Amino acid sequence: MPKSAYPVDKPFDAIDHALIESFKAGSSEAIEKLVERYESRLFRFGLRMCGHQQDAEDIAQETFLSAFRHLDRFRQETPLKNWLFKIAARACFRRRRKKKGEPEREISIESLKENNGDYVIPDFSETPDESVIRNELKAVIDGAVRELPSKYRMVFNLRDIEGFSTEETAGIVGISEQLVKTRLHRARLFLRNKISAAYKEGDRKR
Amino acid sequence: MSECGRHFERISEYLDGELDQETLVEIERHLSECPRCGNCLESLKRTIALCRRLEDEEIPLDVQRRIKEKVLECLAEESH
Repeated sequence: MPKSAYPVDKPFDAIDHALIESFKAGSSEAIEKLVERYESRLFRFGLRMCGHQQDAEDIAQETFLSAFRHLDRFRQETPLKNWLFKIAARACFRRRRKKKGEPEREISIESLKENNGDYVIPDFSETPDESVIRNELKAVIDGAVRELPSKYRMVFNLRDIEGFSTEETAGIVGISEQLVKTRLHRARLFLRNKISAAYKEGDRKR
Repeated sequence: MSECGRHFERISEYLDGELDQETLVEIERHLSECPRCGNCLESLKRTIALCRRLEDEEIPLDVQRRIKEKVLECLAEESH
C-alpha cells in the first residue's frame, strides 16, 4: 500500500498494517492485538460522548465487531484509527437518536460573548498534581463537557482530546472543515465559560 | 461587526495555526493592542490544556477483558 495514501502529517502505521495483514491471513492473535491497541481510546471516547460506562463498553464492542466484519475489504486509504473512530462516532450518534427527548441544541456565538472578558481558568502549569485537586478539576470539566450538545461534544473530543486534525475530524464526522472549526470554537468557549463559572462559584463558597 | 467581534470568532483558528498569513498578522496586531481579546486567548489556551491534561486514565481491567472476550466470542460464533 502506498504511504502517500495517508494524510501528510499522519505517518504510515506499520504495526496496524502488519496486524491487518495477519488478520486477513486468519490470525486470531491479530484480533486480540488490535483490540488491545484501541480499546482504551474507544472506550474513553464512548464514555465522554455518552456519559455511561455500559454505553461506552457497548460502543467499543460494536465498533470492533463492525470493523472486523469489514476489515478484509478495508483498503487502508485512511489510518485504521480514523476508520475505527468513524465507526464509533456513528455508533454514538445512533445511540443518541434512540434516546427520546434529547433535541439537539445549537450554541449561538452571541451567548458566548457575555462577561467582559473576566474568566477564571486555573493555569495547569501551576496546578499541583494532587489527587484531590485533580479530582475536583476533573469533576468540573466532565460536568461542563456533558452539558455540551452532542454534535459540539463530538468535534471537541475528536479535535482537542483525541488530537485529530480539522481535516481528519471532518472526514470522521462527515461534515465540512469549516463546520468543524465553527463547532470547535463554540465548544471551547462554552467549556471555558462553564469552567470559569464553576471556579468563581467555588471561590465564593471558600 | 466590530474588530473584537470579528477576531473573537477566529481565535481558535489562530490557536490551531489555521489562519492565512494576512489574517494572522491582523489578529496578532489586534491581540497586542486589546487586553480583552488577549484575556480571551489566554483563557481558551488554559481551558484546552486543562481538558487535555485530565485525559490519561486507563480503563478498568475487567472492562478491557469483557470487551475482548465479547468481540472474540461474537466473531467465533459468526464464523461457524
